[in-house]
Amino acid sequence: MSSAAPHPLVLWFHKLGSPPTFDRFAARWAPWGYLIGLALLGAGLWQALFVVPADYQQGDSFRILYIHVPAAWMSLFVFGLMAFYAAIALIWRIKLCEILAMACAPIGAAFTLITLATGSIWGKPMWGTWWDWDPRLTTELILLFLYLGVMGLYNAIDDRRAAARAAGLLAIVGVVLLPIIRYSVVWWNSLHQGQTIRLFGESSMDASMMAPLWLMVLATKFWFVGSLLTRARADNLRREAGKDWVARLAEPRA
Amino acid sequence: MNYLPYVIGAYAVFAAVLLWDFVVPRLQIRRQLRQARQRAARRAPAAPTGDLSR
Repeated sequence: MSSAAPHPLVLWFHKLGSPPTFDRFAARWAPWGYLIGLALLGAGLWQALFVVPADYQQGDSFRILYIHVPAAWMSLFVFGLMAFYAAIALIWRIKLCEILAMACAPIGAAFTLITLATGSIWGKPMWGTWWDWDPRLTTELILLFLYLGVMGLYNAIDDRRAAARAAGLLAIVGVVLLPIIRYSVVWWNSLHQGQTIRLFGESSMDASMMAPLWLMVLATKFWFVGSLLTRARADNLRREAGKDWVARLAEPRA
Repeated sequence: MNYLPYVIGAYAVFAAVLLWDFVVPRLQIRRQLRQARQRAARRAPAAPTGDLSR
């Protein structure tokens, strides 16, 4: 019978599951997520607003796309990640994954809100209306309600672990909405335009207009890392309230 | 720049929501640490004052 030592990465992950270790990790790395995110955001916004030329049909209103599209992608990505963490938390009962899953919800809701609001603001001059019950818009609105449902359920139950399990289950069930949002413009006759930007293959947007978009996509990812770690840290402290390590952490420094 | 009010409006929403996302968890951490300090202060034995209590 062999007793092989666990892989260093597995060992590190187990250590990270300890609340004080996670607190130190999150406090150390969250500012880097925000900083890199802000630097990329600055470069992306500058290019989006002042460098790329106006669209020949949409004029300058197309510049809204540089915040709308990355936010829309984030709204789907964060939901998928939340469900992934929730599934791990439900199967292996890993507390850190519960915390991470629940920390995803408000960030995902924020990006969904940005998606809906900026899409609506763009829609007024281009479609002549702030809102339409179009399949893409409606499914994205349902996604926002799902995020709010996860947040509400998590905060409605006093027992944090039971609350995270209930809310996590809702997140896992909600994953079914993601492909519906993604293919809504293909399956139904939609006012919303079809896929313009392709990760693999040729996009129907001119290459000269793509650089700020990728910068913004990266910026939102790094921002998410900063925000996820900070929110998870806050929840970790709330769950561990009363423990000695939290008291030591809170001690005023001389 | 044409459609300027729409562009400003959209970017303002983006900035406001990200600002909210930045500030709220910081306030939550600060509140948790403040409550931990208050708990520690309640648990700490009262310092002797040297006066006799009546």
